[in-house]
Amino acid sequence: MWIFLLLSAGLFMGWSLGTNDAANAFGTAVATRVVKYRTAIIIIATMVLLGAVLLGHQSIDKLSSIATNNEVSASQEDVDAAIQAGTLGELRLKSALKAFIVFACAAITVFVMSYLKFPVSANQSITGAVIGWGLCYADYSNPEILKSNLMEILEFMSTWLINPLGAAVISFVLVFFVKKFIEKKLTSMKNYDVIVKFGYIAAGAFSAFSIGQNSSASVTAFYYDATGAGANLIFKDFGWFTAARITAIIGGVAIAVGVLTFSKRVMMTVGGEIAKISQVDGFVVIIASALTVLLMGKLMGIPVSTSQSVVGAVIGAGLVNGVKNVNFGVFKRIAIAWVSSPTAAGLLTYLVALCTKSYFGA
Amino acid sequence: MFKKNSDVHALIMEQIKDVEKCLVSFEQFMRAATTADVKIETLKSLRDGVCEAENVADISLRNMIDSLANGSYLPSTREDLIKIATSCDKIANKCEHVAQLIVLYKFSFPAEFNKEFNEIFDITEKQFELLENSIDMLFSKMNALQKDPAILDEIRSLETQIDRIEQRISESIFDSDLELAAKMQFLGIVERLCDISDIIEDIADKIQIMLIARKA
Repeated sequence: MWIFLLLSAGLFMGWSLGTNDAANAFGTAVATRVVKYRTAIIIIATMVLLGAVLLGHQSIDKLSSIATNNEVSASQEDVDAAIQAGTLGELRLKSALKAFIVFACAAITVFVMSYLKFPVSANQSITGAVIGWGLCYADYSNPEILKSNLMEILEFMSTWLINPLGAAVISFVLVFFVKKFIEKKLTSMKNYDVIVKFGYIAAGAFSAFSIGQNSSASVTAFYYDATGAGANLIFKDFGWFTAARITAIIGGVAIAVGVLTFSKRVMMTVGGEIAKISQVDGFVVIIASALTVLLMGKLMGIPVSTSQSVVGAVIGAGLVNGVKNVNFGVFKRIAIAWVSSPTAAGLLTYLVALCTKSYFGA
Repeated sequence: MFKKNSDVHALIMEQIKDVEKCLVSFEQFMRAATTADVKIETLKSLRDGVCEAENVADISLRNMIDSLANGSYLPSTREDLIKIATSCDKIANKCEHVAQLIVLYKFSFPAEFNKEFNEIFDITEKQFELLENSIDMLFSKMNALQKDPAILDEIRSLETQIDRIEQRISESIFDSDLELAAKMQFLGIVERLCDISDIIEDIADKIQIMLIARKA
């Protein structure tokens, strides 16, 4: 019972992600009234679920491995020891409690940073919080473990560069070719409107699909039973619906509920800001960003910041028309976002881990 | 989700044609009004023709706006098209207003200004023809108009020519022997007459903004 209550922290995080990330998919289209809000949220919720069902499980293994390496989730050795000692129930409760703390720290970071008007990434905050917990429990006397932890942190930090850079490159190439192709088709306002409408719906749906793949895992992965011994949640494989898939689907449902219930305000705010770029560039940028997020999930398995990829894609699109079209001043703000939210979440979790070390044990 | 749009193009062109008919009626009225010894009955009859044409243009405008509700144009495009159509309607309104004013004043135009008036009519007619083409291009060759908006520049340049003529007429009116009240009436009529060219220029500006907003 307690475990399911603690699972609510992940579901709340998923709900919060849904209210925010929907803006990346359909913000521009809804704010410029290309697509109705009601149509947009139905498409997003459906595609988020589809992304979670089909690809969400890809990041589960990677994330649960990060969680295990950082002492958030129980390892096989911990499970074996608990079975022998007859304390499996206690282990499960502790694992769920640790996941709850990680989510709470990530959520507090996202809330405070948003309040201070810093751009944040919920996905990166969660991973940052897990690493923060791990740093508190790391065995600094063992160079092998330290090396492994360091490699994990470096891999995580590398996404700060690869994600926006990859989005910029993909966006540059896409915008370059799409512009060449679309310009010839813009023979009338009718064609323009049809292309823009279809483009935004396709881009928004694709982006929502990538959110389902990218974020569903990060809100439930720490409850996933990687050991198969019931150390965390108790989902069993049901044919094609493996435990990893079911875990991701639960995350996807939480995000979809967030989209359906509370996404309008953020969508209108973010969309209004992004709408300043051309409409054709707008939907190509969304496609490029979603493609990058999907590739990152496939290649690295670490949930990335969709905001980082959107910004990278906008810069890539701007470069098609020349370096002069890119406001490089924006980099300062983005650099803060890249580093601030995962670092702050990591720091906060480290402090909480330090305070609770006597309960969770070394 | 994607509905038919062909009616909107046909209906906006029909509305432009109706405004053009009103402009032609107005031109006939003005040419008669600037003729010496014209009878007031003739002017009233021609004015009624202008009013009738304005009424027809109004009905066309409403039909066009109604058709937009059923088309699949984006809300921003609908707003822009309504702005253009209502601005075109202002041309017909202005024609009607000037015709009514001249009949009301029973104003006799001094013959020495006929040359300038004819110039204004010819230039306005040319301006309107260019406007009609550019609106048609929005629906058929938008990318060509985006690449080369020379037609819109020409509309603006013709408006500048009319401004110069207006200035010339205004100075001549004040140098003439007309009474002050007649001078003021005359100036008012000339100013309103030249407003038609300003309205056409404003529509050209709106078209240019639409093109910039829709650049790929």
